[in-house]
Amino acid sequence: MPVISLPYRYLERLCGIDRKTIIEHLPMIGSDIERILDEQVDVEFFPSRVDLYSTEGVARAMRGFLGLEIGEEVYSVTPSSITFSIDPNLTDIRPYLASAVIRGLTLDNEAIISLMGVQEALHWVVGRGRAKVAIGVHDLDKVTPPFRYYGAPLSRSFVPLDFDREMTLAEIMHEHPKGRDYSHIVKDKPLMPLIEDAHGNVLSFPPIINGELTRVTEASKNLLLDVTGTDQRAVMTALMVLCTSLITAGGRCESVAVQGTVMPDLSPTLRTIDITSCNRLLGTSFSADEIVHILKKMRYGAEKTDEKTISVRIPCYRADIMHEWDIFEDVAIGAGFSTLNAELPATFTIGCEHPIVARLAAVREICCGLGYLEVMPFTLSNEDVMYTRMQRAPDLRALHVLHPISEEQTLVRTDLLPLLLDLLRINKRRELPQRIFHAGDVVYSGKTCQKLALASTHPGADFTESYATADALIRELGVSYTQKESNDPAFIPGRAVDIIIGGEKIGTFGEIHPQVLNMFDIDQPVAGIELDLSLLFSGERETKY
Amino acid sequence: MQLTLNEKRLLLELAQVGTTTPEEMGTKLDRPAESIIQYGGLLSQKGLAEVVRHVNKAISLTQEGAQYLTEGLPERQLYNSFGNSASIAELNSHPYAKIGLGWMKRLGWVRIEAGMVIKNGHAAPSPLEIGLADPKSAPAEVTKELIKRGLATEEETVRYTISITDAGKKLVAYGLSLTEETGTLSADQISSGAWKTLTLRRYDITKHPRPIWPGKKHPYQRMIDEMRRILLDMGFTELYGSIVQGAFWNFDALFQPQDHPAREMQDTFHLSGKQELPEGWERVRDMHESGGDTTSTGWGGRWDPEKAKATVLRTHTTSLSIQHLAAHPSPPVKAFCVGRVYRREAIDPTHLPEFEQLEGIVMDTNVNFRNLLGYLKEFYGRMGFESVRFRPGYFPYTEPSVEPEVYIEDLGWVELGGAGIFREEVTAPWGITCPVLAWGLGVSRVAMLRMGLSDLRDLYQSDIDWIRNMPVIEGGRS
Repeated sequence: MPVISLPYRYLERLCGIDRKTIIEHLPMIGSDIERILDEQVDVEFFPSRVDLYSTEGVARAMRGFLGLEIGEEVYSVTPSSITFSIDPNLTDIRPYLASAVIRGLTLDNEAIISLMGVQEALHWVVGRGRAKVAIGVHDLDKVTPPFRYYGAPLSRSFVPLDFDREMTLAEIMHEHPKGRDYSHIVKDKPLMPLIEDAHGNVLSFPPIINGELTRVTEASKNLLLDVTGTDQRAVMTALMVLCTSLITAGGRCESVAVQGTVMPDLSPTLRTIDITSCNRLLGTSFSADEIVHILKKMRYGAEKTDEKTISVRIPCYRADIMHEWDIFEDVAIGAGFSTLNAELPATFTIGCEHPIVARLAAVREICCGLGYLEVMPFTLSNEDVMYTRMQRAPDLRALHVLHPISEEQTLVRTDLLPLLLDLLRINKRRELPQRIFHAGDVVYSGKTCQKLALASTHPGADFTESYATADALIRELGVSYTQKESNDPAFIPGRAVDIIIGGEKIGTFGEIHPQVLNMFDIDQPVAGIELDLSLLFSGERETKY
Repeated sequence: MQLTLNEKRLLLELAQVGTTTPEEMGTKLDRPAESIIQYGGLLSQKGLAEVVRHVNKAISLTQEGAQYLTEGLPERQLYNSFGNSASIAELNSHPYAKIGLGWMKRLGWVRIEAGMVIKNGHAAPSPLEIGLADPKSAPAEVTKELIKRGLATEEETVRYTISITDAGKKLVAYGLSLTEETGTLSADQISSGAWKTLTLRRYDITKHPRPIWPGKKHPYQRMIDEMRRILLDMGFTELYGSIVQGAFWNFDALFQPQDHPAREMQDTFHLSGKQELPEGWERVRDMHESGGDTTSTGWGGRWDPEKAKATVLRTHTTSLSIQHLAAHPSPPVKAFCVGRVYRREAIDPTHLPEFEQLEGIVMDTNVNFRNLLGYLKEFYGRMGFESVRFRPGYFPYTEPSVEPEVYIEDLGWVELGGAGIFREEVTAPWGITCPVLAWGLGVSRVAMLRMGLSDLRDLYQSDIDWIRNMPVIEGGRS
């Protein structure tokens, strides 16, 4: 989630209250306070609430929440003669563009920082790292309408932001820092998206970089916004969030005709909510009037239609309102979670352990009774620990992760004994004897199964000990077995046994091969046992989900 | 004070004689002298007797020394072998010429002039000759010389004396019983009833035993089982399932938009292979695209069934909850799961690519948000967190959402998990018409708080000594 910096001076000015009250109430409108600094507070807002990604947006919500100013903000858009054309060649490249003009701003440094902050946050959350949506903000007075958004060849050149020379689009993609960050989004396209004015001045090379020409400074009064992207709805959301926060900052919005469509439309969306449904979901008994008041605190427009329904005007920047429950949640937030009494329902059910988990608990009891200490190793492992050090051939049924994060975790474990040996290595300086076990999930052939492994190390650990322990263990598991000499290379030849139950091999025990001990850097002999419990728990072999 | 029978017998004898030697006592008590010294040592540890070690050094002649005592030292033998004078060449034929000549000169018995050895006329016995005759009274430097020339050796002899102390006398005066004491009881002594006549030795209880380490469950598993117990007690059914899931159940069925970054390779472990979509997948598609038959708008755009077929390591146990609900769409349902989940995160002290998550769901007619808060309060209360408060939260598949916080001494309010009511977009495709309350919890985070760990890895790559020393029952009376 993006972290937004809220400068106190600007925030206090917009909210009309002191910073202490603001900080106190921030968590209750849905944010995590990251850090409180001398000049600003850094907060994280939920990705759904993109309207809170600017100081202006937070101030708007805070004033409502504290009852200083309730109800919806009304945004008027006056028509302008500015137009935008969209080149049909961009249909398969970056088809959507939305635009608006904001006039009459007096931007101080804090307002510019806030503007850049909301832009970055929108790029990240709505724009998916600019792939889906990218935003350009320009000094309108430096360029001449009409504007065109079209597909340009790589040879086209202009002076990008932060540079003092013309560069071709190809050069920008390779040499400009933003080019290196974002060129992957368009690099395989036949043409590059570009925005030009009537005289061929370049405003922007979306989604990578604006032109130096239209840089926004404290002297800028009138702004042109461009939002380009691959998803119409997301593009419009970003535009509306930007426009409304700039209006709150003191600007006037003018429309732009984009390929004939006049935008932005900053009017609210209408929804009618049912009071009974709301109270039933929240477990409350609010009256229609109470809900209307709470919704106004949450900056909705709301009027009682009758005692059962409320007509709600949802501000255009509330892209997160998809369902009436989203509004019900705001009723709960507006009322304050602390005012809702926690209460258990009368639902009657009987608790029931999962049979596999219950079996694992029983297996743990047996192992503890045998004097073994439980350990809980990771389920992610690698070929080296799982097979190479065990002198075993890689298990072809093992599940490999496609993009491992390190060489330590490349696959899901198929066995447990190697992980116990690795734990004995970690604990080689600890007092002997050490007897450890683990019962848990392994995955092979895509199936989650359960295995059990035990390992004992001390100067006298030997085949006889593993035999006696395995014998007792299997007896306690309530089954009988036959033994067959094992050729598992992890054990010393002639000192290893395959456990056969019902004609099927379900495990192996014996004395670990000294070569394996060397590979694991263990100095003492080890007696080891491993069983596939899922083969034993017949009837519960398959997990349902 | 506990005394063995042997110690008592020795002490009684000492009381008679005051001071004695081990040999003398050994004869009296019919024990080897070494044993007497040992008993004396034990008595002296208790302040009842005193054992003094006397060391005697005795000098005695070697075989060579004894020979020279009768035959004379080499220089004396050489001196006696010639008249008033002799040439060096003549003397060289004598076996002791080499060693004798030097000594004769050093002692002033002879002088050498022009190749001739001439006697000075007096040859008084040298200090070494005197020492050889009576080594015991020889001065130290002579003794040293005798040893150096291999004519004598020095031997240490150690002798002990044992004497009773005042405390010992007092104890004897107070009275000592000489009854035979028994240590380990034999089976025969027990079954025959012989134990009735035995005096069972009292042992020293101040000495700590060598620790033994019982087999036991891992402290983390114990905590997981405690949580499971709580939920079972509250009437929840336990879920358990595959750690390998299709993206459909892990993301799509939970209304996670298909372009959500958490689904990507950077955040989620993807595996090779495709998972079949379950029956009814079209309803999930419709929900994403347009909100299906609900009042929802959906995410818009096109939902790609191929993306939903991706195979992943489950990123939460919610993938099991939703499958359980889909299979049991009628109320009431109360289910929980504690299981390992996977996130593609680099390892550091507080982040691991795998960790445990607990999740509980309640579906019933007319359950509501306040009931959810009720379950959270009840569950955290039973976990020992008395103070719980609630903040707004956000999760893609719940609405309303809430983040519970618990108050922990020294830490303040700590966020512990997330909760909410499943969105209708999540439940409607499976014909579920009742609200579903759901909450999840990072179990390993609770473990860190409860066990005071600073590094999550300690749970999974444990120091055996840590497990050994974690008591099964915590917070008992000391």
